[in-house]
Amino acid sequence: MRFILLDKVTELVVAQRITTVKALSLAEEYLADHFATFPVLPGVLMIEALVQSAGILVHVTNDFRQSIIVLQEARNVKYKSFVKPGNILRMELTARSIDEQSSSFLAAGFVDDRPVVEGRFQLRHFNLADENEKWAQTDEKIRQEMRYRARLLGA
Amino acid sequence: MRWIWIDKFVEFESGKRAVAIKNVSLAEEYLHDHYPGYPFMPASLLIEAMAQTAGILVGQARGFQEKVILAKVSRAQFYDLARPGDQLILEARLETITPEAAIICGTIRCREKLIGQISLMFSHIDKNLAGQEFPQENFVFNNEQFINLLRSYEAEKP
Amino acid sequence: MAMTRDQINEKVKETLMDALGVDDDEVTDDATLMGDLGAESIDFLDIVFRLEKAFGIKIPREELFPAENLLNDSAYVDHGKLTGAGLERLKSQMPHVDFTEFEKDPDLNKMPDLFRVNSIVTYIENKVNAA
Repeated sequence: MRFILLDKVTELVVAQRITTVKALSLAEEYLADHFATFPVLPGVLMIEALVQSAGILVHVTNDFRQSIIVLQEARNVKYKSFVKPGNILRMELTARSIDEQSSSFLAAGFVDDRPVVEGRFQLRHFNLADENEKWAQTDEKIRQEMRYRARLLGA
Repeated sequence: MRWIWIDKFVEFESGKRAVAIKNVSLAEEYLHDHYPGYPFMPASLLIEAMAQTAGILVGQARGFQEKVILAKVSRAQFYDLARPGDQLILEARLETITPEAAIICGTIRCREKLIGQISLMFSHIDKNLAGQEFPQENFVFNNEQFINLLRSYEAEKP
Repeated sequence: MAMTRDQINEKVKETLMDALGVDDDEVTDDATLMGDLGAESIDFLDIVFRLEKAFGIKIPREELFPAENLLNDSAYVDHGKLTGAGLERLKSQMPHVDFTEFEKDPDLNKMPDLFRVNSIVTYIENKVNAA
């Protein structure tokens, strides 16, 4: 399995807003365990999908200046209904702020009109070289990978 | 890949508290995407490791009769990264439990440092989620992987 | 331990901010929990738990939020409105809430408007200062 939890960027307004989709397929391996008789997208993978979506907006807004974007804090993430194989999860994120080293988002996910998840996220962005210059090459490699992903997703 | 994010229980006080271990290994696929050249466990999967530790604690408290699912991540804060070769210690404390829901607060430690603090709410979905369809049987716990973790703990504890 | 209404107000607001992930400026006195602050069923337990911890008191959930079994009982709810018996029961469980407006048209859909930040503050004030 590839750890890419979104499939397409459908709307992107630099520094402000991004809309993405994730299509859920029975081909995704973890569904066999979650759960065998009732396969549904795990709540934490909704968080991952939302964080990866936010990450794309940060990368594009900051022109990929930071290679690594991580979730620093999630608040009040509520799960309202299930995402089942065959569903398309639509994610809408609004940036409350995007700075060089941190950003803050309001996020919500829907299947058609049905609310599935909502939450607030604080992200942290950095380069490995900030700690130690020897990582500069790795930063560049990751940066390239993230540019590739953004292109792949149509950002 | 298997959807099991803890490796063993090291402490289990029914209805109160559980401590589990998760080893982080390059044998896990997601690390190769997150990120190439600098692998570390994503925060979302740290939350899942805590949710599984906590979910088994909550489930066991009511004899695995309830379908226990994650309803809310009240707050999850992360202070450092978990990397290949790390052994994470997850501690979950049951703060309150009712027929409808449960609240858990937990910590994740790595290399003797606190790397995460997470508070979660679980729902016992037969008592909630009106109007949504899900199977009658306990799909959360009828796959034995969670019960086996507890069985191993019982078998090995001093 | 007696607390002033202001002190209680501050702490209740902090608690709601924590439980609902909302900001300071969203938690006004008049804000409705469900409408303005987005509280849902799952949040009620969270709010009760945090208030119990913050104030060191026990809070039976149906004193702050209507019990599911009241809302589902046909003796108390008829065609989407509370019956006389339902109203009486709710009032006795929640003496801190002002039902005068609601009584004129006790429509279930309007119930969320009853639960405002200031009614929680009043409830806590009664509990804390009675002890």
